[in-house]
Amino acid sequence: MTAANRHKTGAAARRLLMLIAAACLVLIWAFPVVWGLLTSFKTERDVLAWPPVLFFTPTLDNYRAVLEGSRSILPNLWSSLIVTSSATVVTMLFAVPAAYAMARLKMRFKRTTGFYVLATQMLPPVGLIIPYYIVLQKIGGLDSYAGITTIYLTFSLPFAIWLMITYFEDIPFEMEEAALLDRAGRLRTLWYVILPQARGGIAVTTIFVFLNAWNEFLFAVVLGGNTVRPVTVAMYNFISVEQTQWALLSAAAMLAMAPVILIGLAAQRHIVKGLTVGAVKGGGRR
Amino acid sequence: MSRSASVRIEGAVKRHGKTTVLHGIDLEVKPGEFFAFLGPSGSGKTTTLRLLAGLETLDGGRVLLDDTDVSHAEPGARDVAMVFQSYALYPHMTVRENIAFPLKMIREPASAIEQAVSDAAARVGIGHLLDRRPGQLSGGQQQRCALARAIVRKPRLFLLDEPLSNLDAKLRLETRAELRRLQRSLGVTAIYVTHDQEEAMTIADRIAIFMDGRLAQVGTPHEIFDQPATAQVAAFIGSPPMNLFPARLEDGRLRLGNDVLDYLFASHANPGQPVLAGIRPGDLEPCTEGGLAAEVEFVEDFGDSAIVNLSIAGQPAKMRTQRRDLPAEGTRLRVSPRLGSVHLFSEHDGGRLAP
Repeated sequence: MTAANRHKTGAAARRLLMLIAAACLVLIWAFPVVWGLLTSFKTERDVLAWPPVLFFTPTLDNYRAVLEGSRSILPNLWSSLIVTSSATVVTMLFAVPAAYAMARLKMRFKRTTGFYVLATQMLPPVGLIIPYYIVLQKIGGLDSYAGITTIYLTFSLPFAIWLMITYFEDIPFEMEEAALLDRAGRLRTLWYVILPQARGGIAVTTIFVFLNAWNEFLFAVVLGGNTVRPVTVAMYNFISVEQTQWALLSAAAMLAMAPVILIGLAAQRHIVKGLTVGAVKGGGRR
Repeated sequence: MSRSASVRIEGAVKRHGKTTVLHGIDLEVKPGEFFAFLGPSGSGKTTTLRLLAGLETLDGGRVLLDDTDVSHAEPGARDVAMVFQSYALYPHMTVRENIAFPLKMIREPASAIEQAVSDAAARVGIGHLLDRRPGQLSGGQQQRCALARAIVRKPRLFLLDEPLSNLDAKLRLETRAELRRLQRSLGVTAIYVTHDQEEAMTIADRIAIFMDGRLAQVGTPHEIFDQPATAQVAAFIGSPPMNLFPARLEDGRLRLGNDVLDYLFASHANPGQPVLAGIRPGDLEPCTEGGLAAEVEFVEDFGDSAIVNLSIAGQPAKMRTQRRDLPAEGTRLRVSPRLGSVHLFSEHDGGRLAP
């Protein structure tokens, strides 16, 4: 065996090892999802069968049950959508200009402000629930969309600002200065030059904010009620003291996951790196 | 279209935190002039350019364009265009959109923009690349695109920050000549920042030499070459730059090591005062007697001329010669400066003493 061949075999072996490792990880990650998907098509009897059955007659009854009638989660999906989209829209509306300012403008107390924005992320959410409950109760915001959306902003806004800052910082200074010299002014510079280049960052941030809000459970279960009842809370109702309705729970979970997965797929093409490649040559940093 | 601004900088001071990067710059650029800011890196030349553009704020002094104080005017309000060292093209726009951007911002009608864009692109020879994006252009083409974007709106002042430093040597020479031609044909005032003395000497009408945040000298390339104001300027200009020897004046004659140059110097220096004697490599020539004792260390032969590296009084020195009979390494010979070609500088602060 020549040295080159030995080298080739070594590389192939490494590749194989990497593949096996990756496969293991995917398996661990995917197992609950796949199991949930299977469970959602089982009858309640098949779910409880021991040993677990892999082959069974699939049924759509569970989906019918969680979509129609008294146990329908459709209103809850709608509720989730309202809270999540309003939180996402408002977050991005404020986070983008805030992050731009933090990344670029010279202003007093920038460090301090930046620290406090980050500091809000350091508190455990559980510790905030009771204060939030009391505040919302006093201003009549419990179980209202405005109230819960506002509470969601308290964690999504700092997160989005910090994520966006790094994207803005990646855009070369000169590009902005060129636009200023081209008489674009601050706002048009932001609109025509900065935002198009931060597109990838904005897409990624939006998705993360949306996901966080969509998956939120703790605040929703405590601060919500009959009006605001996101799907995460509704799913919880399939677990009761007497029994857990695994099949229904799984079907609801699959439906709750669907929009998230769809959004992820649709936005994938926005999450492209290297948009600024080729714009700036050499190191012009002072 | 010859709109060209006059520029005046009065006592410009700039600090970054506690460090002062500009210690009061006074400078005047005439309309239509091609002016170079030359200096080593960190000397304040780019900062001064950015002050003119309005990208830096002044900590003292004033900036006047056409006799109007623009010290606190926004960059966009100054009617100046700048070509950045990195070009700073907008990567998400095509070449056409890049060039059109400054006109779009002042809401020119679309037909006028179209016309101006093709004119500007044709002027710099990228008319066929309008639909590409900056990422699909070569370095030279990107540079031209940046130039076109700067000239398209006919600014009164054109600022160039080391525009050629990212090009390869051959392209740099070509572009240098083209830049000069472009500036002449537009008749616009241009200020050009570079650390390359040869570039500044060949391209500029006048040069300002920056050293440590101060202006060391302002003048035409000839003035600066022939009459460098300080020893630092002398050591920076010319390739190779001027030889500088520690020396002493004795009865108006210059003692350099063990040798005395037999010229009379009518200088401001006191007798016996230590000075720096500057001699350009091209002003040294071999001689049979008198002059300075030298030993040849090595020779760089360029074919049409050669640089002879010497050791004079224990100091390295260079002599440029056109002669074909080059001395061998280790040869001892005598060299003397051409008559009247010795520059004297104060040893204390490098200031020019004579002639």
